[in-house]
Order: sequence, then structure tokens, then C-alpha cells
Amino acid sequence: MIDPIHFVLFSSLLLLIGAYGVIRNKNSIVVLMSVEIMLTAANVNFIAFSTYYHDLTGQIVALFITTIAAAEVAIGLAILLSLFKQRDTIELDLLNRLRW
Amino acid sequence: MVETKGIPKILINKIALSFVFAIVFLAYLLMSSSESAVHYSWMIPLFPLVSFALILLFGLQDSEKGGSIALFGASFSSVFSLAVAYDLFVNGTANGSYVESSRVWFSGSTYSFEFGTYIDSLAGLLLFVVGVVSYLIVLFSISYMDDQGDRRVRYFAEISLFIGAMYGLVVANSFLLMFIFWELMGVCSYLLIGFWYEKDSASSAAKKAFLVTRVGDVFLLLGLVILYNTFGTLRYSELFADPQILRDNLDEVKWATLCLFGGSIGKSAQFPLHVWLPDAMEGPTTVSALIHAATMVKAGVFLVARAFPLIVHSPDTALYIAVTGGFTALIAASMAIVMNDIKRVLAYSTISQLGYMFLALGTGAWAFGHSIELGMEPGNSQGYMAGLFHLMNHAFFKALLFLGSGAVIHAVHTQDMREMGGLRKEMPITSLTMGLGVLSIAGVPFFSGFWSKDEILEAVHHNSQYEGIFGALWFMALLTAGMTAFYMTRMWMMTFSGPSGRTVSSVVTSKDHSDTGNWVVESKKVKSHAHEAPLIMTLPLIILSLFAVFSGLTLVFGGGFSSHVYYGEPYESHGMIQWGIIDHILSSSLTFLSVAVGLTGIFFGIIFYKRGPDGNAAFSTNFVTDIWILKIFHTFLSNRLYMSDLFNWFGMRTWDTIASLSDWFDRNIIDGIVNKIASLSMSFSHNARNLTTGFTGHYASLTIGGLGAIVVITRLVFPLMGWSV
Repeated sequence: MIDPIHFVLFSSLLLLIGAYGVIRNKNSIVVLMSVEIMLTAANVNFIAFSTYYHDLTGQIVALFITTIAAAEVAIGLAILLSLFKQRDTIELDLLNRLRW
Repeated sequence: MVETKGIPKILINKIALSFVFAIVFLAYLLMSSSESAVHYSWMIPLFPLVSFALILLFGLQDSEKGGSIALFGASFSSVFSLAVAYDLFVNGTANGSYVESSRVWFSGSTYSFEFGTYIDSLAGLLLFVVGVVSYLIVLFSISYMDDQGDRRVRYFAEISLFIGAMYGLVVANSFLLMFIFWELMGVCSYLLIGFWYEKDSASSAAKKAFLVTRVGDVFLLLGLVILYNTFGTLRYSELFADPQILRDNLDEVKWATLCLFGGSIGKSAQFPLHVWLPDAMEGPTTVSALIHAATMVKAGVFLVARAFPLIVHSPDTALYIAVTGGFTALIAASMAIVMNDIKRVLAYSTISQLGYMFLALGTGAWAFGHSIELGMEPGNSQGYMAGLFHLMNHAFFKALLFLGSGAVIHAVHTQDMREMGGLRKEMPITSLTMGLGVLSIAGVPFFSGFWSKDEILEAVHHNSQYEGIFGALWFMALLTAGMTAFYMTRMWMMTFSGPSGRTVSSVVTSKDHSDTGNWVVESKKVKSHAHEAPLIMTLPLIILSLFAVFSGLTLVFGGGFSSHVYYGEPYESHGMIQWGIIDHILSSSLTFLSVAVGLTGIFFGIIFYKRGPDGNAAFSTNFVTDIWILKIFHTFLSNRLYMSDLFNWFGMRTWDTIASLSDWFDRNIIDGIVNKIASLSMSFSHNARNLTTGFTGHYASLTIGGLGAIVVITRLVFPLMGWSV
């Protein structure tokens, strides 16, 4: 029997993996992917509880999140693309001009 | 294992094997459960969809595989759909009514989405047509796409999806499910028309097809919304069940059916939205054949036929459908006369023939509604039957003509008919089968097109005694019949007649490929080195030509075509059975008139365009440029009535204005606000910037660390200390 706790544990695991990826990675695209993993963690929670409470709203929200995630990735990739055109790199360590 | 002539042996094995598998599977299903084939109709769309997935998964390993997987999928669903059609029309399973199955996909608190199948004689007819035509086209395209390398994988995957979507549309049991497959077909047509996407013309044609049909789709969706809001259901069986409810909501029915027909206008390329179909010729010819004969444009006709029980309650819609159909038939035929691209001639001919079908359906619906009004029972739905009859016949002869033109293009590597000629000797089978197709569409007696065209004309003429406008429509349709015969004869004569292997030193071509009438004389040697297509390409042609010639005879076999698709009364008590009796057709003076018109068209086509021994037509095409009034007319038609230009102009005018307005708004208002805020925050952050290090990782770990700290404090420290949040 799969309890909600399993879903929650699973999604927390996903969230931590995503967070770890965001912090540790130098490659912006991998960071974007990690952000997606974190969004997925939220989705898992939504769907798990939507099933648990027999309420379709959670699944609809999950659909919205998926859509927004897709849009967000499109914007992120567009930013990276124009960044690459200007700076010839998307390595995060080399992109530290945004400081004092 | 490639042979130039004949079918490679391995392919024969595949064809035989796929049929044996399909029949064995069907037989197993029928044996094991004692239910009729109709109950397995839900599987029909699944086979091509599964083969679509399989091709995507396994096709890339070996580009040969795509074709055989698609062939398996197509043959399975063909066998199944023919079995269903046999069950319906010969065994009479549905008994003039319908067989429905339904399952819940998902359900919320107020609405549950159901999917299932709704098989009646209309669906059976479409299954028969799609089953035959789509299989033959897949077979043909295995050879036709031979030289495309790895792209064949994509081609066969997309064409499987296309066929699957069409099957799904036919068997769907609700307007909503149908709409899903309808959109799926739109996507597939986009993908397939833009198959050679590196060609600018192909990719823009694909976009045009998609966007123009979208305009219709928006209307269709609107119609579905109206129907759902009014009747609370989109299932056919519930919508059609009670005519009284429909009669109580005449306004809603009227607007809903008008919107539904809007979808048909887009999909079936009727008058204001006809512009995409000729451009859709940029795709591979097999795709054009599929779009024109089995899927896509037939979906629009199918939608109107499906919504027929609604349309009969709205004489306005019926009249609008008939007028649109008649008008489109006429103008499309007039444009087909001046086109020089063999595929464009066929494309305009399709638009014209679809107009014929809509004319018939609209006429039928109007007559049916009218007879209900007058209290005459049973209603007269001759137009409905004539339209569907023409749909079936047209599917066969148009698939034949398109595949034939594909064989010609494959052989001579040009689509311009002026550069063809004399192919009769080199391609005897293609020229013969295409000739049969031409005779059929031209309405020569006893070929299939003759029966259905004649029925349509008669149905329209019958209505003219009640409503004057049908008289005008009848005249337009008659004129169209003559023009159809003319341009089809022209096409055949320009392509096939004349001496073989001719060498012509000057060919008149247009500067660009848009047939704008900007003619320049180019010196160009045209040396024919064509050869007959391989057997795997001619075999579908031969089979289709048999169908094209003889499908009209379904009018008399077993009860007659009309008694099976008759709309209105149950199967047994059809009041119009005499419609199916041939001597009624043969003794009518209308028949002689339409035959005379058709033969006149063929006669003029022959004397104008039959190529003489020197390879040129007896009448030079220059006679058009010599007479000024003809020239104006010709330019007008060659430019496709300036419809595309009008759309461009309209689009530029409206969207340019809106765009420049919003540009100004964006620059001054939105950017102004943003810039002001930005300059404010810039001065602020100038002071706050010392906080930042510039490394993304630092920011991320600060954020996550802070969040973690909050969690630890609120969840661990607070409870330990006994505080509550």
C-alpha cells in the first residue's frame, strides 16, 4: 500500500536532488534541468494529494504547472542563447559580472 | 533486393503476411466471443496509432522497416474496417440504426469524458472508403518514397498517425472525441505537407494549411460549445435521439450547425478558406492523394453528414451549405481550367468536387426539413444519399488520379504539364488507369462519377420547384460538370497524348512558379525518358481504377446504395427505394442534359489540347494571350481570383495597424513605466550591490539554506521548546 507519506518522501527527495543540482552545477542548462526537477517535485505532491482527496483540482494545477514550466524553460533557454551569443559561454562560474 | 520492374519478393511476402495476420487475428476475435465485427471497431484506429509509435521506436534502426510497419498497421485496420462495413451492409448488423460502445476516460464532479465508437451506415461507408484507399496509398508510397532515405521513417510514422486519426474520427461516438481526432489530422497534414521542410514553399504551404484550417476549427469548437451548453451532451446518440428537443431550440441549432459547417469549410477547403488546398500540393504526391481521397478533406464532408440530423432542423444552414458548395464547385472548376501544374489541376478539381458534395448534402438537408414542414413523411433525403455516393466515388477516382499523377511525376520529375506529353507509350498502365479516372470524374455514362453526379444534379433540380435559388445552383452545377469534363480531358491530353520522346525547343513558362500568367518564352529541350512505374505502384492504380469504374454500380447491388445510407426512416421502410432503380436515372431528361454537357466538355478538351504529331496542342495556348478579354479572364483565374492577395492585403492592413499601435504603446507607456522603475531601483541597488558576489551557486545555496533554516526552526526548534507557530 502506498501511503501519502511515500509520495511526500519521494517528492522531497526530488526537491533535494533538484536543489543540489542548482547549487553544485556549473552548466546553466543542467541548472535549468534541476529547476525542472524541483517543479516536478511540486507536481508529484499535487497529484498525490489530488488522488488522496479525490479532487481533480490538484491534477489541473499540475497541468498548469507543467505548462508554465514549459514556458519558463523556453524563456530560460532563450536567455541562455542570447547570453551565449554575447559572452561565448554559459558556464555559471564565468558569468559573475553581475556583482558589485 | 531492389528490382526496377515488378514487386520485390520480400515485399510480396510482407503484403501477404500482413493480410494473413490481420485476417487470422480478426477470425480469432470473432470465433472466441461470438460477437460481430462491429464490436471490434474500436480497434481500427488503434492499429495505425500503434504502428506510428512502433515506427518512432524502432524505425530509426532501419529505414526500410518504417514502410513495412506502416503497411502492417494499415492492412490490419483495412481488414477490420472492411469486415465492419461488410457486417453493416451485407449482414445488416446495425439494422439501419447504430451500434454504440462507450467507456469513461476520466470523470470530474460535473462531467465525465466518455470515449467510444458509434457505428452506423455513414461510419461504415467511410470505413469502407478509408480502408480501401489508405491501404493502397501506403502500398504505393513504399515505392514512391523509395529514394528518400532515412526520411521514410518520418514519412511512414506521420502517415500512420494520419490514417489512425481519420479512422478515429470516423468511429468516434461524440463530437468532442471527433474534434480531438480532427485536430490530430490538422497536425498531421501540417507535418506531411511540410515534409520537405527545407523548401521554403513547402514549409510556408504547411503553415498556411494549418492556419487556414485553424480558422475553421475555431468555428467548429464554437459550435461544439453551443451544442454542449444547449443540450448538455456531445454524444451523437443523445443529441440525435429526440428531434423534439432540437425543434425547441431552433436558434441554437441554427448557430451551432453554422459553426460546425465553418469547421467543414476550413477542413474541406470550401470558398473563403479554399486557399490552402492548392498550396498543399507541396507535400509528397501520396500525401496529396491521402488528403484528397481518404482523409482530411473528406472529414469536412463527414462532419456535415454526421451533423445531418441537426442540420435538417435549420433550413438556413442547409441553404448556406448548398450555396457555398455550388459556388465553390463553380469557381474551383474555373481555376482548374487554367492551372498548368498537374497536381494543382487535381487540387482544384477536388475543391470543386467537394463543393458538389456539400451542394448535395445541403440540398438534401433543405429538402428533408422542407418535407417535414409540409408534413410529408418520410422526408426526402435524396441529396444526402447523393452526396455520400459522390463522396465514395470521388474517393476512388481521385485517389486513382493522384496516384497516377504521382507515377507520372516520379517518371518525368516535373509537375508542369506543358513539359509533359507523349507519355502514353511509355506509361501504358498509368495512362489507361488515369484515363478511366478522367472518364469517371467527367461523368461519362456508366462510370462511377456519372451516377453520383447525376443524382446530385437531380436532387438540386428537384428542390428548385420549392425554392428559386436551387434553380441557379442547378445551373451552376451543370456548368461545373461541363468544366470538370473539360479540364480533366485537358489534363490527360497534355500529359499523355502526342508523340513519345519529343523534343520541344520553346516552352512557355511563368517567371515564378506561382502561375501568375507572367509568361516568358524559354528555350528548353524536353526529352522524354519516362518509363512505366514498377508494379507495386501500378497495382494500386489498377485496383483503384476497378473501384473507380464499378463503384457506381453499388447503386443496384443488394438493396442498392441508397437503402443502406438512407437517412430518416429505418432501414426497412424507405420511401425512396425507386431512387436506386436504374431506369429512373436512364429515362430522365436531366440525365441526357448532364451527359451532353459532360461530353461537350470532353469534346472541347480534346480539340483544344490533343497534342499533334509535333508534340504541340492543336490550339496553341497562345490564343488566350491574343484575345484581350480572354487574357484578362485568364490572368484573373491564374491568380486564383486574387484571393491570396486579398488575404495578404487584408492581413497587412489590419495587423500592421494593430502592430504599429501596440508598438507605440509598448515603447512609450510600458517601457516608460519600466524604465522609470528601473532607474529608481538602479539608484537603490547602486547602494545595495555590495551584497552580491556574482556566483549563482552562492545565491542558490543562500536561498536554500535560508529555507532549510526556516523549516528546521519551525518544525524542530519550536516544538522542542513547546512554542506554537
